[in-house]
Amino acid sequence: MDNKKKYQEIFTKSLSIDNSKFSDELKYNEIPEWDSIGHMTLVSELEEGFGITMETDDIIDFSSFKKGEEILSKYKIKF
Amino acid sequence: MIFNPRNIKMWSTIGSRATFGVAALELVKEVDNLMILTCDVSTSAGLDRFRKTYPDKYLDLGIAEQNMIGVAAGLSSEGYNVITTTFAPFQTIRCCEQIKVNIGYMKQKVCMVGIGSGLALGTLGYTHCCIEDVGVLRSIPEINIISPADSFETVKALEAAVNSDKSTYIRLTGGSNNPIVYEKDYDFEIGKSIKLNDGEDITIFCTGSMVHNSLEAAKILENKKISVKVVNMHTIKPVDKKAIEEALSSKLIVSVEEHNIVGGLGSSIAEYNSLLKSSPKQLFLGIKDTYSKGGSYKFLLEKHRLTAEKIVDDILNEYI
Amino acid sequence: MKSKEIDVLKIKKFSLELRKNILEMAFSAGASSSHLGGALSIVEIVATLFSYKMKINKDPEWTERDRFILSKGHACLAYYAALCEIGYIKKSELTTFEKNDSNLLGHPIMNKKLGIDFSNGSLGMGLSLGIGVSISIQKKKKNNNVFVILGDGECNEGSVWEAAMAASHFKLNNLYAIIDNNSFQQTGSNKDIMNSENLKKKWESFGWDTVEIDGHDIDQLYEFFNKKNNLEKPIAIIAKTVKGKGFSFSENNNDWHHSVLTKKLYETALEELKSK
Repeated sequence: MDNKKKYQEIFTKSLSIDNSKFSDELKYNEIPEWDSIGHMTLVSELEEGFGITMETDDIIDFSSFKKGEEILSKYKIKF
Repeated sequence: MIFNPRNIKMWSTIGSRATFGVAALELVKEVDNLMILTCDVSTSAGLDRFRKTYPDKYLDLGIAEQNMIGVAAGLSSEGYNVITTTFAPFQTIRCCEQIKVNIGYMKQKVCMVGIGSGLALGTLGYTHCCIEDVGVLRSIPEINIISPADSFETVKALEAAVNSDKSTYIRLTGGSNNPIVYEKDYDFEIGKSIKLNDGEDITIFCTGSMVHNSLEAAKILENKKISVKVVNMHTIKPVDKKAIEEALSSKLIVSVEEHNIVGGLGSSIAEYNSLLKSSPKQLFLGIKDTYSKGGSYKFLLEKHRLTAEKIVDDILNEYI
Repeated sequence: MKSKEIDVLKIKKFSLELRKNILEMAFSAGASSSHLGGALSIVEIVATLFSYKMKINKDPEWTERDRFILSKGHACLAYYAALCEIGYIKKSELTTFEKNDSNLLGHPIMNKKLGIDFSNGSLGMGLSLGIGVSISIQKKKKNNNVFVILGDGECNEGSVWEAAMAASHFKLNNLYAIIDNNSFQQTGSNKDIMNSENLKKKWESFGWDTVEIDGHDIDQLYEFFNKKNNLEKPIAIIAKTVKGKGFSFSENNNDWHHSVLTKKLYETALEELKSK
């Protein structure tokens, strides 16, 4: 599975949203599922799924799906 | 509550505070008449989703802790199962008398959750740290005091407290990426300590965040051929007297807590030990009755000698 | 006689009985002394509540009852006296006041069977309890009221204002705070010790529907409690009262905040009551 697909899968699974609700324009706090609790779950699952540990600044900066891609590239995850 | 590896890992990452918020979302389905009261700390306590999903079961009393306790007691008297929460110093010491009168004296059952206890908020200074909560509350009758070892135990403690007839104070320590102590489901009973490691030479009684550090310390000591029993005293009051009696055969007892050595777990153990014949010497590890300069959590744990390495050093100094 | 006149007469009679019971308890307390002054100042208010306004019956634990909280717990002589008059406390138990192992100590101790819903005494806590009960009543969609009596000195406590702010925030229009404004606290007048200035303005500014009433005028109290509360606000009554009201030696005499009722004074007081 390529990383883009993996990222999207972890994203929808950890926020418990189905594909119909997903869009790559999604931003933090835009949907009820991506609140502070959803965000923590998302970060946790991404760390587990990609074998990384995110820095606090990155966790805070992670404000949208697209921004998330940018941040993950910092951790050498190629899209 | 579902105790599976996925949840356990997630709870550890998000820390005990946020775990409390997540657990609340499940508890509300299992418990009749649950009400959660806070003092303007919904996001800090991971309760944002709870607040939005169950607005009729949530009450924010603003920055007014004394009022919160009174309101909690009033609701409890009318049959509600009440949880209160705010930062540990404000949850306990700020409204101490209200706790004494409403919860201790009148026995109105309330579960109080003190978030960010110990040194976790050290960068904000000692007004936001809490090294006194256990000592102060221990002297109020009718309140059980629990300090969970990790995020998983936080959930266990909450469940037990909410289902108990008695009031409870749950003291949450540690930050995010809270080390995991429990990897599998286990039996949790208020008042019953849990032996996590066996050993004959030394017994370490630990609580809260110090359980993980004590287990790490025990590993280091084992390599130095010192056999260490590690006992998780999640319930500081009522203290597990049997566990203390079982330590009589140790050459040294060590108490480890992210709390003042005055008044907390160590004092509680010593109180009981002093009644027993030929009890071993006790080494009190914790904050040595001082307000140091602040700093990060990691910095403060080092400074107060509460990391695994420093715990080992202090034990070796004492144990000859 | 109109029904209002009958009701008012009943309340006056109840007040008389309260003062008699208060004297008995204070006298039996002997050297333990008692908080006579602050109990006497709330007699008419307590009488109007217990004999007229409050929805209560023979069962002190009736779930449909109105609730009463004596936040100024040291005025418990008036409270116990009222609980006796409505049959919750036996007359014989009144003389155990402040005796060893008694249910009736110098501040109320929670005892549901006697109709004492909460322990009070540490000032500044009763209104918060009232909020919890009031919210609970509203959640259960009942139409009961909650009456909390506070002292004016008690309003020095910050916790009172935490509760005041919250009550109006939550629009608790079934919650009444009755402030016994007898103008004194333990060491002296409010003005000298901690000037609470204009209590009416203060409670109003916290969002309460506030009135000033003569706390000993039963007609006024009767008229007030007959009005329906149509606003989405809790109600504050600043009751202008006289500390020690009812006896010549105690009226406006702050020595009677807490003092010993000697046999001589007890007999004097009984005589004065006879003439009323």
